[in-house]
Amino acid sequence: MSANGRTEHGRPADGLLQVSDLRVDFRQGQHVVRAVDGLSYTVTRGRTMALIGESGSGKTVSSRAIIGLLPHTARVTGSIRFAGTELVGLSERRLRGYRGGEIAMVFQDPSRSLNPTIRIGPQITEAIHLHGSASRAQAHDRAVELMELVRLPAARQRFRQYPHQLSGGMRQRVMIAMALAAEPKLLIADEATTALDVTTQAQIMELLRDLQRRLGMALIMISHDLGLAASFADEVLVMYAGRGVEQAPTRELFANVRMPYTRALLGAIPRLQNPPHSPLAAVPGQPPDLAAQIPGCPFAPRCPDASDRCREAAPPFDEHEPQHRWACWHPCGVREVESA
Amino acid sequence: MSSVASAPLPAPRAGERAGALARLAASPMLRFLARRILVAIPVLWGVTFLTFVVINHLPGNAAQQLLGINATKVEVHQLSAKLGLDKPLLTRYGDWLHGLVTGSLGHSLASGQSVTSILGSDLPITFELLAFAFIISLGLAVPIALLAARRPYGVFDRLSMVLSMAGLSIANYILALVLVYFFAVNLNWLPALGWVPPGKSLGGNIKTLTLPAVSIAVSLLCFYTRLLRADLVQQLRSQDYVTTARAKGVGPWRIILHHVLRNSVFGLITAVALNLGTLLGVTVIIEQIFGLPGIGHELLSAINSRDIPVVEGAVFVFGLLVVLANLLADLLYATLDPRVKYGSAD
Amino acid sequence: MAAPTELSVPGGLEPAIIVPPPAAAGRLGRLRALGGIWLPAFLVAAILFLCFLWPLIGPVSQPTGGTILNANLPSFSSGHLLGTDSTGNDEWSRLLYGGRASLEVAMAVTALGLVIGGLLGAFAGYVGGWRDSVIMRILDVLIAFPSLVLAVAIAERLGPGEVHAIWALSFFSVPAFARIARAATLRVREQNFIVAARLSGSGYLRTLLRHVAPNIFPELITFGLLGIGITVVLEGALSFLGLGIPAPAPSWGNMIAQGEGILSAQPKFVMLPSAALFITTVSFNLLGESLRARWSDR
Repeated sequence: MSANGRTEHGRPADGLLQVSDLRVDFRQGQHVVRAVDGLSYTVTRGRTMALIGESGSGKTVSSRAIIGLLPHTARVTGSIRFAGTELVGLSERRLRGYRGGEIAMVFQDPSRSLNPTIRIGPQITEAIHLHGSASRAQAHDRAVELMELVRLPAARQRFRQYPHQLSGGMRQRVMIAMALAAEPKLLIADEATTALDVTTQAQIMELLRDLQRRLGMALIMISHDLGLAASFADEVLVMYAGRGVEQAPTRELFANVRMPYTRALLGAIPRLQNPPHSPLAAVPGQPPDLAAQIPGCPFAPRCPDASDRCREAAPPFDEHEPQHRWACWHPCGVREVESA
Repeated sequence: MSSVASAPLPAPRAGERAGALARLAASPMLRFLARRILVAIPVLWGVTFLTFVVINHLPGNAAQQLLGINATKVEVHQLSAKLGLDKPLLTRYGDWLHGLVTGSLGHSLASGQSVTSILGSDLPITFELLAFAFIISLGLAVPIALLAARRPYGVFDRLSMVLSMAGLSIANYILALVLVYFFAVNLNWLPALGWVPPGKSLGGNIKTLTLPAVSIAVSLLCFYTRLLRADLVQQLRSQDYVTTARAKGVGPWRIILHHVLRNSVFGLITAVALNLGTLLGVTVIIEQIFGLPGIGHELLSAINSRDIPVVEGAVFVFGLLVVLANLLADLLYATLDPRVKYGSAD
Repeated sequence: MAAPTELSVPGGLEPAIIVPPPAAAGRLGRLRALGGIWLPAFLVAAILFLCFLWPLIGPVSQPTGGTILNANLPSFSSGHLLGTDSTGNDEWSRLLYGGRASLEVAMAVTALGLVIGGLLGAFAGYVGGWRDSVIMRILDVLIAFPSLVLAVAIAERLGPGEVHAIWALSFFSVPAFARIARAATLRVREQNFIVAARLSGSGYLRTLLRHVAPNIFPELITFGLLGIGITVVLEGALSFLGLGIPAPAPSWGNMIAQGEGILSAQPKFVMLPSAALFITTVSFNLLGESLRARWSDR
C-alpha cells in the first residue's frame, strides 16, 4: 500500500505523539480486514488534534491501537512513538503502565462505560492507586478534588453514588475525572460527546478545552462531526477507509477545503441559512468494504469529481501546501496538477 | 427508574445507621419481600394439600401398614379410629393446618413421636450433606470459571468445558455407585454405608459424608462452572466498562475479580437458589444408596407407612426452604446490584 | 450542531453518512469447542438405531426368559458379546432393550412437556394478567411438589410400568417447558411484528399460533433435546428406586439397581448400563448445547 505515500512528519522536538505508517489488520475468518492503512500524524504537546471520519473510517481503531486496546484478532504494524518511546510491540505489561497513566481515554457512551455495580468514588480512586502511591485517605481527597475539577456538583456526596444515579452528562464528567487521575500528557476523547444532548455536549467540550489549557494536556478528539472539530481543535485530520485524506490546521482547512470528501462532509451539516424544507444533504453512497482491496482512491466510487485516474491509482497523502496535506488527484479550488 | 434513583442529590449521611434503618422501612424492599411471602403462601398450601390428598388415596392407610397384611378388618378399623383416620379428609387437613398455625406439626402415626423432633433429628444430617455439597461445588466452580474465562478458548477453558459437559451428564446415583466401587470397595478409603454423628467423631462424620456429598456436588459444580464462565466471558467481550477498566491500566486479573465477577455473580445466585428446591429428590436417592438417616430417607419410609404427618412435615419444610432460598437470592441481588428496584412485578 | 447520524434522507436517496461499521471481528470457532454439531448428531443417531432398529433386524436375542444353564457367562462368550446375567439373559440385548424402554419414556415425556407445557407457557406469557398468574402459580405448585410423593403414588396406585413412569415424569417436564415458553413469549411479544399483527386485527389465538409459536419453537426444541438427556436420568432414578419400569423387563435404571447388590463381585452389571446411560445423556446434551450455541449466535 505504498501508493499512499509517506510524508515527512516533522517537528520531532515538540511532537508528543508520532504515528507513522500505522496499519491495523483484523483477521475475520478467511480474509483480513485492513481497518487502518498507513496512517501518519503528529500530536504536539498541549494541542488538540481532531480525527474526523465516518464509522468504520478507522479513527477509533487507530486511537485504540495507541494503547493496545484492540481485540486479539488485531495486528498492528508501523510506528507509534510517545514521548520518545515506541509503543508498537511493547509488552502488555509495559503498555498497561501507559494506560490511564500518561495516556488516558474517554469513551462514547457514559451510560455503559462505568461499572454499574461499583460506586463512583472507588472507580476514580482505582485509577489513582494504579498510577502512583497514595493512601486511602489521600486517594479519597484527590478523587473529590478531581470531581470538583470536572465541575461535578456536590462532589463529596457523589462519591458514594452509583453510576445509574447520575445523568449522562454527569457520568461523562466522572469518566473525565477518572481519565485525569494520573495527570495524563495525552487524553483521547473517543466520540466523548456523541451520546449527550446538544447543551451537555457543549458543556463537556468547554470543560475539556479548559482542562486541557490548565493541565497542558494534548488532546485527540475523535468525532464524526466536523462542526465540533471546527470549534475546538487546533488541527484536523480527516480519515476515510482507514487512511488520512486531508489534514491541516483548523483555520486553513475550513478556508481551503481541498479533498472532495471533506467538502461532502461539510455539505452534510445542516445549516440555519438553508431555506426551510430544503432536502438534507448527505454524502451519497456507502463507505467501501475494507475487506476488498481497492487499487485506486477509496473515495472514488462516491466522488463527483472522480476520473479514470482516481480509479486506477490512489493519490499520495502529501503536504501539497505548507501544513496542508491531502490525498486527491483533483483537489477543489486548485489548478489541475500536471500528471506526472 | 424510580424517582429515588434519579434524585439529583443523595440524602446527607448524618446518623448513618439510623438513616439506613429508616430508609429500609420506607423502602419498597420490605413491601417487595412481603409480597413475595404472600405469593409463596398459596404455593405452600397447594403443595401440602396435594400431598395430603395423594397419600390419602394410596391403597392401605397407616393402620393397615402398622398392623401388616394379616390384621383383621376389625383391628384395622379400631386402630384407624384411634389414630383419627376415620375422620373426613378435609377435617384432618384442617386439623393439620390448625396445628401448623399454632406451631405444631403433629405426631407420627407410626411411632407417636412428635414430627418436630423427628425432623429435628433428620434435618441436620440432610443440611450438613447439602452444605458440604454446596461448599465443594461452589468452592471449585468459582475458581475454575475464573481461570477458564481468563483465556477463553484456551487449553484450560476447553478442557474444563469438555469435562463439565461430561460431569453434567452423569446421573448422581450412577456417580454414587462408581464412587462406592472405587473408593469403598476397591481402595477401602471411605465407608460405603452409614453415618457417624459429628459429636462422636468429627473425622468419621466427614468421612461418611464425603462420598454422598461428592455424588451430589459434581453435577452442581459442572453446572455452576459453565454458567459463571459463560457470563464472565460474555461480559469481558461485550461490556464497555471492561474497556474503561483496561484503559485505566487495570490488569487482567483485577478486571475479572474486581470488575466483572460482581456483575456476573447474579446468574449464579439465582441458580443456587433454584437448585435448593430441586435437591430434595436428589437427597432421597443419595441417602438411600449411602444409608444416611436424613430427611429424604425419612420421607421415603413415611410414604411407605402412610405416615401422613411426617410426610406433610417434610414436604412443608422443604417447600419453606425453597421459598426462603428464593428470598435470600433476592436479598443478595439487592445488596450486590445497586440498580435493583422493587417496583415492578417479578 | 446536530450530527447527521440518524437522519434519514427524504426522497429515497442514500442513507445519511453514518453507516454501521462492518461486522466486528472475532467470532471465530465458537462451536468448535464442543466438537461441532455433527459428532453429537451422529452419536444420537447411532444410539437410536441400536436401541430401536437393531433389535428388529439384527441377531439380538430376547432380553428376558433366558435359562439358568446360560447364567453368568463371561463377556465375549460365543453368541453373548457382553456375557449373560445371573438368570441367563444376554447382557447386550438387555442393554439395547433397556435403552429402548428408557428412551421411549424420555421421548414421550419430552413430547408431552413440549406440547402441553409449550402451549400453556406461551398462552400465559401472551395473555398476561390474572390468567398468567393463575397458570404460573399452579405450575409453581407442581414444581414444588415433591417428585417422590408423586412417583410413589403413581407406582403404587397404578402399578409400576412404562406408561405410568411417563405420567409421573410429565409432571416435571410440563412446568419446565411452560416456564421456558413463557419467558420466550414475553421476549417475542413486545417485538414489532407481533404488535403489527395485533394492530392489523389478528385475533389472540391466531397471533399465538401463527406468529408467536414459530418464534419460540426453536428454543423449545433445543431445550427438548436437553430435556431428553435429563429425563433419561430421571427415568433411571425412578426405575432404580423400583418405581419405574419393573423387572424382569429391562431398563437401564432397574439394571443398575439389580447390579448394585453384586457391585463388589461383578461391577460390570452396574458399569455397563451406567455407561450406556451416560453416553446417551452426553450425546443429547451435546446436541442440545451446540444447537443452543448456534441459536444464541444469531
